[in-house]
Amino acid sequence: METIKLARTRTLAGLAAMLLGSAAWSGTALAQDASNPTASAATANTNATNANADANAVPANAAARGQNNNSTSASSRAPTDPGVRGGDPGAGGALPGLNDVERQYFDVAKDVFQEVDAGPDGLGPRFNLDSCSGCHSQPTIGGTSPATNPQVAVATVMGAKNVIPSFITANGPIREARFVRNRDGSPDGGVHSLFVITGRSDAPGCNIAQPNFAAELARNNVVFRIPTPVFGLGLVENISDGALEASLAANAQQKRALGISGRFNRNGNDGTIARFGWKAQNKSLLLFSGEAYNVEMGITNELFQNERESDPACQFKVTPNDSTPLVSENTASPSASFQNDIDLFAAFMRFSAPPTPASAPAAPVAQATGASNVAAGQTTGTATGASTTSNSAPTSSAASTSSTASTAPSAASTTMASAAADVSSVMTAAAGSSAAQPSSSASSDASITRGNQVFSNVGCQACHTKTFTTEKSPLTGQSNVTLQPLSDFALHEMGAGLADGVSQGSANGNEFRTAPLWGVGQRIFFLHDGRTKDLHEAIQQHASRGSEANAVINNYNLLSRDDKQALINYLRSL
Amino acid sequence: MRVWLYLGIAICLVGTGAVLYGAMPSSQDARIVRSENPEDGKVIGGAFVSDYFNLSYRLSDELTEGLAGPPPSQSGYYVLGTWTPKRDFAGAVLVVAQDMLFAPDSSDDVKNVVAEFRQVMAAVDGMTIDREPAPVSVGGHPGYRIDFSGVGLFRSMFAIEIRCHVVTFNLTSRDRESLAGLVRSLDNLDSVRKEDISNPVPQCLRDYASENSVRRVEPDGVGAKAASIPVRMIVATDGSVKHVHVIRASAAQRRNIEEAVRQWKFKPYVKQGHPVEFETGVMFNLKPTNM
Repeated sequence: METIKLARTRTLAGLAAMLLGSAAWSGTALAQDASNPTASAATANTNATNANADANAVPANAAARGQNNNSTSASSRAPTDPGVRGGDPGAGGALPGLNDVERQYFDVAKDVFQEVDAGPDGLGPRFNLDSCSGCHSQPTIGGTSPATNPQVAVATVMGAKNVIPSFITANGPIREARFVRNRDGSPDGGVHSLFVITGRSDAPGCNIAQPNFAAELARNNVVFRIPTPVFGLGLVENISDGALEASLAANAQQKRALGISGRFNRNGNDGTIARFGWKAQNKSLLLFSGEAYNVEMGITNELFQNERESDPACQFKVTPNDSTPLVSENTASPSASFQNDIDLFAAFMRFSAPPTPASAPAAPVAQATGASNVAAGQTTGTATGASTTSNSAPTSSAASTSSTASTAPSAASTTMASAAADVSSVMTAAAGSSAAQPSSSASSDASITRGNQVFSNVGCQACHTKTFTTEKSPLTGQSNVTLQPLSDFALHEMGAGLADGVSQGSANGNEFRTAPLWGVGQRIFFLHDGRTKDLHEAIQQHASRGSEANAVINNYNLLSRDDKQALINYLRSL
Repeated sequence: MRVWLYLGIAICLVGTGAVLYGAMPSSQDARIVRSENPEDGKVIGGAFVSDYFNLSYRLSDELTEGLAGPPPSQSGYYVLGTWTPKRDFAGAVLVVAQDMLFAPDSSDDVKNVVAEFRQVMAAVDGMTIDREPAPVSVGGHPGYRIDFSGVGLFRSMFAIEIRCHVVTFNLTSRDRESLAGLVRSLDNLDSVRKEDISNPVPQCLRDYASENSVRRVEPDGVGAKAASIPVRMIVATDGSVKHVHVIRASAAQRRNIEEAVRQWKFKPYVKQGHPVEFETGVMFNLKPTNM
């Protein structure tokens, strides 16, 4: 038996040290104050506002995040984010294996998802954008915030005179704004739409004003959210609560050694696990659709029937604005012809294929149960004859200048074989990203393989790597499908640096759902408010006072620069 | 020697107030200052002091306090503290505790916990087990140590059990030499106070509440949210509840549960012919009130 020496004689030293206790208490009190919701919201706002000025810049507000000095030496060895990778996202189309009727339904749903609404459709009177696909478009329809922010153009379309808030820029992320508190100090947390239809040629007589964002910004009362990608969410919707609970409980000892716990946001009506949205506040895709249609576009529907802005001079359609057609709308899908918009939005998400990583090989079609070699972001299923990837990675052998993975397993290298060319192609095919830059550490298959290993070793996978299997599905070929969304869909305390002070369901102001990382290689903006375009910075932002991720980020900071780079390369391969 | 100890206590109480806790060899003083919640550990004058776990971790000049961890979890998990070397960011010490009354997994003792941990870490791609789990003594408590490494990180975990909690010291470094230094820092672990026969630490009992409650008042008004809320309670020798610790809940849930549980009454727990103070836990699985 090894013995760690006891030093009982140090009792006296401990007593003497207590004489200095008052100072220690003061310091502790300060730390606790900074974790209260109001202070957290202010901090988040400050960071987000800074990020708006240069979304790609490192906020570096280490003091505000409670970052200790140790990260300084680490940041001097910061890796380079190669930026948005090229290649086919594998998403945007229908799930593989659907039958012809289902595909027709999906195609109509996708068209409706892209419709631009105006006054006669019920747009507004307050809104953030005028179509679903406007927000969900990077790298393709159903994704997230694109490189050019469409909110800038929509502010003045059709004669509108909206003032563009300072946190909206042409090359910044699409944002919705929430106020943390009402003027009387009570909790708010709701979305305050950026724009009004006042002045538009399709809204005569409407004369309402935008919120005074400048005043609220001055009060540090504004927090932001960017759009979440909707690819593959039908598979996520079809994961059982039991599977999610088992996943959160799995590897408990490893999580505990990293300071990680987590819990689910449960629906207030039936107690089941909610899983969509930045705080997992939305229970279902239909609810997600109905809520966004009203909150983001101002279009009332059969789930959310009432206008949020009820000024009668600004209503140009019956309410709810969207309702179930009783007469066929004669679309290409007889089924879709009798559906309202929110049902079709939900169907688009539900039937949508998940992203596939650049590194994925041509997906084998396999019975998913018990499958163990599923690449991140890839799905396998029972869909006979269907391929889950459409890997059109360039065959160029350019770049591949860095390899740190002498120990990488050969099998894994094989599965990553196509990644080098794909990630390297970022340099010339950045899919609209200004973040893509040449790097001396350009990705190689070995580096990506090593990055996958780093991802697991430092502990990212404790929250971000989860394999799930769907339940029996009414959709063809979607039962018992294995997927890797790289999320546990649980809420985690993310600390004062990310806290937005907004409570939703069970989620408090410091908690966020683990963001699914499938497709992250082709996203431009990161974190809930889009404060950075840089993956290294996004990783660093996971650490702050009160965050469950602090130990994992400590591990990350201890890595060699090459291993940090490998991790970034791996993430960009997804 | 004893004179100096008492003098130190007296000065300490004057200087920092009676609510502080620290090295308390006297039963009378311990009764005044004892903390009953695991998360109440603090860094005081260069030492991390947890009265609940009766642990003092004197921090060397080389260590500085890291970022505070999250609040206690819904499964009774605590991040007690983090420390990192001051000069070069060569490693970190993370001290955590899991309340085994509420652990979501089946591991019920520290040996099994470390064995399970070993199994999980060995399955991680690229991870090597450098030292198989082996018995150690940490701060006077028997426990287990395991070393492992991967992607240039060298790590040790020391696990001990105190009051039905598995407390682990997780050491991480970028080289073996620095790791050895962090391991040596555990030499600075000590007890806050010596065992006091007249004021013993409450006996920890699992599953006592379900079979031995005499009076039980259910909390009401928990709101519209479904929630599992872990609650620890310390029960006096007469069976009355003397302390309620709602580990994680909203303010309203906390208030209502505390109010209800304080009215509970248990059969006294008898040990060697005498009723003794004990602590136990109850998980409240609350359903939404609007269902």
